[in-house]
Amino acid sequence: MELAWYALLGLFFATYLVLGGYDYGVGLLLAHGATEERRRAALTAVGPFFLGNEVWLVAAAGILLGAFPALEGELLAGYYPAVAGALVGVVLVNAGVQLRSRPRTRSARARWDRVVVAGSVLAALGWGALLGGLLQGLPLHPDGHVDGVGHLFTPFVAATALAVLALVALQGATFLTLRLPAAGAATLTRVARRLVPVALAAVGTATVLGLLSARVRAAVARPAVAVLLLFVLVAALLAARAALGRGRPGVAFAATGAALALPVALVGAALWPRILVSTVDPAASLAVVDGAASGPTLSLLGWLALPLLPALLGFQAMCWWIFRERTDGRAPVYW
Amino acid sequence: MDTLFLARLQFAATTSIHFLFVAVTLGLVTLLVGLQTAGFVTGKPVYERLTRFWGQLYVINYALGIATGLVMEFQFGLNWSGLARYVGNVFGAPLAIETLVAFFLESTLLGMWIFGWHRLRRGVHLALLWGVALTAYASAYWVLVGNAWLQHPVGYELRDGVAHLTDFTALLTNPTLGFALGHVISASLVTGGLLMAAVSAWHLLRRTPDFLLFRTSLRLGLLTAGVAVVFLLGFGFAQFGPVGQLQPTKFGGGPDRDALVAGWVTRFGPGDYTPPTLSDVGLGFMILIGFGLFLGLLLLPLLWRDQIIRLRFPLWLVLLALPLPFVAVLLGWIAREVGRQPWAAYGLLPVERAVSPVGPGVMLASLIGFALLLGALAVTNWTLIARHAARGAADPALGRPPAPETDTRPHSVFA
Ligand code: HDD
Ligand code: HEM
Ligand code: HEM
Repeated sequence: MELAWYALLGLFFATYLVLGGYDYGVGLLLAHGATEERRRAALTAVGPFFLGNEVWLVAAAGILLGAFPALEGELLAGYYPAVAGALVGVVLVNAGVQLRSRPRTRSARARWDRVVVAGSVLAALGWGALLGGLLQGLPLHPDGHVDGVGHLFTPFVAATALAVLALVALQGATFLTLRLPAAGAATLTRVARRLVPVALAAVGTATVLGLLSARVRAAVARPAVAVLLLFVLVAALLAARAALGRGRPGVAFAATGAALALPVALVGAALWPRILVSTVDPAASLAVVDGAASGPTLSLLGWLALPLLPALLGFQAMCWWIFRERTDGRAPVYW
Repeated sequence: MDTLFLARLQFAATTSIHFLFVAVTLGLVTLLVGLQTAGFVTGKPVYERLTRFWGQLYVINYALGIATGLVMEFQFGLNWSGLARYVGNVFGAPLAIETLVAFFLESTLLGMWIFGWHRLRRGVHLALLWGVALTAYASAYWVLVGNAWLQHPVGYELRDGVAHLTDFTALLTNPTLGFALGHVISASLVTGGLLMAAVSAWHLLRRTPDFLLFRTSLRLGLLTAGVAVVFLLGFGFAQFGPVGQLQPTKFGGGPDRDALVAGWVTRFGPGDYTPPTLSDVGLGFMILIGFGLFLGLLLLPLLWRDQIIRLRFPLWLVLLALPLPFVAVLLGWIAREVGRQPWAAYGLLPVERAVSPVGPGVMLASLIGFALLLGALAVTNWTLIARHAARGAADPALGRPPAPETDTRPHSVFA
């Protein structure tokens, strides 16, 4: 029961990273020497999906609160700066994308675009720091309090944050190669291809720092799974590069999406059965099962929420289907 | 300054901003459903123009509803981890259902509605807006189930100091839920209706073009607010029943209160169990505003033969009344939330056990950061709404027909 909910939580958060990832990736690319027209075209490509992407985060947080209340409190409060930083980023991107085209002057729009860029950076770094922080454990005491916030400022956490930033930028670029009019997509293919080695280098750095960190080695309960998933991640990145070279943007997007989802699976599987690993008192570590809500709550949520899942996914699929084509001169423009 | 105080201040600041936006959302979406449905049934183009103009303001407003809502949701875990730890088994369920059932669909559908103009069949496009409205109401319902439980915890049993769910239906029939829901929804309709009426009044006073369009929305806004204000007062006074009975410490005293406090002293130790007077003050002013808005019903007969527009001064009254519902909703929430102090869950979990064990420095940084961020975004957002309201209905970006195709293949607009 707990495992099913844990998997569902992972699924929602990973999907958020995949879908929100290209929102933020496109947000980052707004800084990439683009003209107002090109920025507008990029946001039009995200257009109809934007609002439906961020709800995966809202829902993941809802599952966390409903199905894992004890975990929710300790997780968010324990990694306060990472979560709050990511949240500020999400808020900035949300407000920036939705409001940037409401003023008419170019200068006001350019200012909002900088807000979107800053927000995208913060969101990617924040979630990356949270994933890295989980792998490294935290100074958690049995009464639930955590010593300060210094545990988040380590080279390994910085490296994972940067790795997620690189993956997000790549994801945004492959998304645009898939959605922009074919003419505009060519330049983006080049950008995406150049981002693959950057992402590989960032993931490699994080891996090396993780192997060197005693805390990470102590926290990871299943190193074999972690290494296996890392290989899959690298393979996905290489596949993305090959697909871009062969003009298969759909495959490339699927591959970079997988690369963003894999870190979530890696953290969940490598730490299992624990999720919060205490670096000061092993007995204070929190296992997933202990962080979960009690039986009646879980079964209530199961009866109420799970039957609705097909409908939720159905409406998302409907949105993807309606707007599945490349944008063109007649695509609705609003952001 | 201690962590607890800072966390409470942050919660009060962010929820208040959130509610100023969601009250408008809830009210306007209801009116929009009416407008777009009328356009669908009658086929008159004026309704499509009205839907686009008010829809534009609605969508701008929605941006901050989401931004602030996200902060609210994460705040429970960031700042109130004790709430999750001790009562999360019960309190978390309605909020989890809300996110999955309501928000998830609401935003997905709204995205398709914004981008679906001239692209989807008209019936499908209308159905999307209905979906947005229904899920918005569902979210108000579930979030209030959660809030009502904090006001009056039911349907649980304590084991080792942790609450476990025993009876979910008790949460749904919580006596502090029903009247509050009615009151909140009518307050949102009053707010949305008055906003519509006030913007229309401004255009009529300035004699901008589109007289007929703004005449229609003035009437719709005033009638909606007029009907809703009656329900608002009804549900408002009705709330005194359950509140007086179940939360005797909230407003005023009496033997009930003394008995309850004596019980708490034996269970939780001595302490100050009376809420700050701030809540009573809020209540008083809100009721005053309520009666003021009720008097506004006297304007409704002036709708006959457009007297209200010809006389002009009633339009000024409508315009000047616009801030009142916004002030009242904040005061109402202050009465409800401050009135349950010092409890996070009334009679069950004191706030100091609910707050996260983080240092005051972190909490202060968080308070300043989020308050400044959301405050600045709120002001910017209102400026944008005001500018778009003033710009009129000539050519809103929402639902603008696509640029004509360069090749001349024939196509119908609602293909
Ligand atoms: C347009 C806004 C508005 C107006 C004019 C009023 N209210 Fe209100 N009131 C609210 C908006 C509101 C609210 C923001 O929606 C609250 C906060 C929580 C709730 O349930 O509704 C609220 C709370 C609230 C409470 C607190 C319930 C509790 O503590 O649990 C009471 C007793 C009343 N109201 C009663 C009234 C009365 C008797 C009014 C007028 C004669 C009145 N309200 C006008
Ligand atoms: C319906 C869902 C809501 C829930 C679950 C909720 C929950 C909470 C919680 C957990 C706190 C902090 C603990 C405390 O200080 O009592 C709080 C405080 C507060 N909330 Fe709410 N709230 C809700 C709605 C609102 C709304 C919409 C508003 C305002 C517009 C609001 C206004 C406040 C205020 C002013 C405080 C501070 C009270 C004080 O500590 O002095 N609440 N609420
Ligand atoms: C304190 C408790 C509350 C929390 C945790 C909360 C959470 C949220 C979240 C996460 C969103 C964003 C959803 C999205 O991304 O689409 C949101 C929006 C919304 N909230 Fe709240 N909310 C609270 C209080 C309230 C109250 C009291 C109401 C109404 C009675 C309300 C009504 C809405 C509505 C209608 C929306 C839709 C978006 C919008 O209106 O702009 N919320 N809320």
